[in-house]
This record gives sequence, C-alpha cells and structure tokens, in this order.
Amino acid sequence: MVEPEVAIDVNEVSYTYEPDMPLALDHVSLQIHKGDFLALLGQNGAGKTTLAKTFNGLLRPTSGSVSVGGLDIRNATVSSLAARVGYCYQNPDHQIFNRTVSMEAAFGPHNLGLPPNEVSARVDHALQLVGLADKKDAYPFLLGKGERQKLAVASVLAMGSSILVVDEPTTGLDIQGIRSIMTLLRQWNQSEERTIVIITHDLRIVAEYIPRTVVMAQGKIVADGPTRSILSDGAALATAGLKPPQITRVAQRLNHHGVPPDVMTVDEMLEYLHNAFSGSEDARSSLPGRSF
Amino acid sequence: MPVGYSIYVERPSYLHKRIDPRTKLFALCTSFVLALLFNNPAYLGILLAAVIAIGLWARLPLKSFRAYLLFALWFLILGVVIWPFYIHQGSVVLQISGVQFTSDGLLFGLAMGLRVALMVTAAGVWMMSTSPQHITLGLLRLGLPYKAGMVMSSTIRFVPLINAERATIIEAQRARGLDLKRGNPFQRALRYVAVIGPMLVRTLDMAQSLALAMEARAFGARPNRTMITEIRLTRVDWYIVIGCALLIAAAIALRVLGIGVLVRGYL
Repeated sequence: MVEPEVAIDVNEVSYTYEPDMPLALDHVSLQIHKGDFLALLGQNGAGKTTLAKTFNGLLRPTSGSVSVGGLDIRNATVSSLAARVGYCYQNPDHQIFNRTVSMEAAFGPHNLGLPPNEVSARVDHALQLVGLADKKDAYPFLLGKGERQKLAVASVLAMGSSILVVDEPTTGLDIQGIRSIMTLLRQWNQSEERTIVIITHDLRIVAEYIPRTVVMAQGKIVADGPTRSILSDGAALATAGLKPPQITRVAQRLNHHGVPPDVMTVDEMLEYLHNAFSGSEDARSSLPGRSF
Repeated sequence: MPVGYSIYVERPSYLHKRIDPRTKLFALCTSFVLALLFNNPAYLGILLAAVIAIGLWARLPLKSFRAYLLFALWFLILGVVIWPFYIHQGSVVLQISGVQFTSDGLLFGLAMGLRVALMVTAAGVWMMSTSPQHITLGLLRLGLPYKAGMVMSSTIRFVPLINAERATIIEAQRARGLDLKRGNPFQRALRYVAVIGPMLVRTLDMAQSLALAMEARAFGARPNRTMITEIRLTRVDWYIVIGCALLIAAAIALRVLGIGVLVRGYL
C-alpha cells in the first residue's frame, strides 16, 4: 500500500508563550496526511489551539520544526501560508466586517492576489457549499449565529487552501447547526480530498463525524489513532481527563451481554439492538441468557 | 505612554495607602494650576523635580517616569523649534535667513516643553499611586453620579479584555491572508478596517452583555449605595489640601508680581 502524502509534518515541536512559563507544547510530533479528517481533542489549555496555530505560522515553534506540504514554515509568512492552510476561528464575529456576505467571503481570496473573476467564482462556489448562495447580498451581522459560522467557514473555503483548520466549529450552535456544519465539513473532506483538522472538546461530534483522533493533554499528544479505538479506550482518555462518550460507556458495561465495547453513537447502539432483537441469528446468540 | 489598567503600580507607600484619593486629585489640580501660572523654565524645572521626588517618595521605580518624560520630550523639541518664531524678546542667539532666534524664545519653548512634562508626570504619579477603584471612589464622594463612576471603572476594566480581542481579531484576519505590514502607511491604515470592524462589533456586544448582566443583578435598584472600601479625610489630608491652596494663592501672587514669568502676556 502506498503511504499517503504528508500534508503537515510536526517534528519535535515545543512552544512557550513566556520564557518562564511551562511549555504549552512539549516536544510534539505529529504527521497529518493528505485527506485526513482529524480531531484535536483535549481539555482547555491542553495545547490544541497552540499546536494548530503553528500550522499556518501564527505561532513559531520555540524549538522543533513544522512543514506544510514540504514547506518549512520558518521560510514562509503567515499571509503566504494562508493559501495552503485555512484557519477558521471559533467566533465568527472575530472576522466578519464587510457589508455583504459575498464581500466577506471574497476578503481572503482577494488578499491572496487572485484576479477578480477567479475571486467571484470561488466565492460563489464556497457560498454554494455552505448553503448561503441565496444570501450573498445579505448584511452579515443580521445572519443567525449558525449562518455566521458557516460564512466564516465559507470565507476560509474560498481561499482554496487544501488544508483547513477549524477551531471549535460547534460552540454555541444548536444540534441542527452542529449537524449541518459537520456534514458540510465531512462532504468537503470526502468530495475534494482535502485535509481537515477540527479542534474540539466535544466527544460526541468526534464520535459521530471524525475518523482520526489525536488526544492532547498538558502540551503533549497522549493518544493518536482511529477515533473508534481511541474513544473506546477509557484508560488513554483518562490521561487527558476525558471519558468515552456516554453511549460507549453503556456499551462497555453491557459488554458481558455481548454488546461490542466500541459503540460510538446512539444510532450504532440502536442498530445493534435492532439486529440483536429482530432476527439476526448471530446477534441473538451473542446475548447470553437473553436476560433483557 | 502606558495605557489603561496597567498604569497603577502597587506599592506599600504612604502616598498609596494613607492619602485620600480626593486629596491626591486636588494636589494634581494644584500642579496643573502651578504649571500654567509660570512660564519660566527654571520654575517649571523645579516643580517637575518636586513631582518626581514625590513619586520616588511613593516608592515608584525611577524607570516608570521614563515613558512620561519621553512623551513630553516631543513637546519640548516642538516648543523649542516653534516658539522662537513668535517670541522676539531677549538677545539674538542665531539668525537664519532673516529669522532671528532669541534666547528668551528658546527658553520659552523649553518652558512649554517642561510644562507638558510636569503635567503628564504629575498625572502619571497620580495614576500610578491611586488604584482605579480609589479614583472612582474619590470621584463618587466628590458627587459624581454612581452610574458615571461605574462607566469609568468598567472602561478601565475592559481595556485588557478589548486588547485581547484585538489580538485575536488580528490573528483571525492574518489567517485570511491579511498582511498589516505590507505597503505604504495609507494602504496599511486602510487594511486596519478589517480589524476595527470586528472590534467595534465585539465591544458593542461586550457592552450589551455587561449591561444585561448588571441589570439582571439589580444594578441601580437603590438610589444610595454603600461601599466595601470606605475612604475618610484625615488630618494629614486637610494639611495637604490647605498646603495646596496656599501654594496656588502664592503662585497667583507671584504671577501678578511677574515673578517666575519669562515672557509677559503669554500664559
């Protein structure tokens, strides 16, 4: 099997905000491959955002190196890295300032120095993707929180970067808002083979949408692997002060009744139970004693 | 010059802990009046030295005055360059293509610079030795309406928060390819729209949240408020106030007599 191309290579990176403060990143090494859909998971202050900010050069490692698509960030400015790594901030209100939705989305590509027809083509495409095409002339501040969040994502998508970092995309959104933004990101990842890094502490969205999980605690990476195995590994999560999702814990408690210990979502659990009770011989026989 | 919340320097000094903020405010006003009553650089220089001496007595580090004095230095240079064009009394020191520079003109420019230095440094000592809470409390006791006092202290409190917002916004826009360092100053200023826009929205947002939170906790429900920290004018405070009043009276008398005045007819 061919090793997938490395999109971001983090090599022994340490970072400290003040010389006498503890390390915010402590010799972190991480390889993110092209097409990865990855969650940086951890509690507040674990170093997730600090790590992600080295991807586009907003923070320069105190020691170690970061390269993006083979380019060492030490040799690049933030504005030139912006073409490779799109970084979407947690709060859309930290970036929205234009009079119309389409002007807002055009800000990034315009900064990259693209010709006007290319800019408008990209803006249209990005707004189409996030479902704001019919609001392109609307006043951004009058949009709802979920729509502003989508606009912030669109304005980064429009820059056409092959890597996208999204910091806490679901904060303050209701379940519908979360679903639509995560579905959008998943589609974008799958259809256009782009790399996405999501910074989050929300286990449920990780379990439901994101295939690879990197767990951070105290500036270190404590676990890295497929989401299913990471999130069902209570011991590994405990080092970061986290627990598996509730439904996974329920499944693990019921393990001696044959419930698989790596159930990630309620839907998976329902599917399993449905099979167990309605016919599938395998599942039925795996429930010893039919004690339910 | 340092701005905002960080001006106050906590020190265990008599000036910090024992003197009422109202007294300090009156002393500050006195220094302003004295600064305006004299225009002889020697007198203003002595007053500036006195203000710095008070600051050192309050155990403020010497280097904390540097920012204020450097700020005033610009006015000093500006004064020395500009005033000789207007003040023609005194002996001619040098002549450049028909324009005469007199000694009094130069000295008057120096005096104007020292005047700014005096006022700025006095204000600095006042702010470095009086915590924002005490400044507000003093003004409230002087009759400032409570809501206005609240506006004042929350303004000071929000400076570091808004500064943090500004840093975040700049990062977010740089991540979108905004380069604030490229181009000429005019182009750079225009690019700051991308920072100022979200900042305005965020500050309005924060102000609204604060107002809501305060109303939710019954802000303004009672007309008269009590304070956690009480302030009281002591005998020493009254001595200082009387001393300051006498200083002002004496300075006015000197002004009338023409002492300490280098150029008559100018403030």
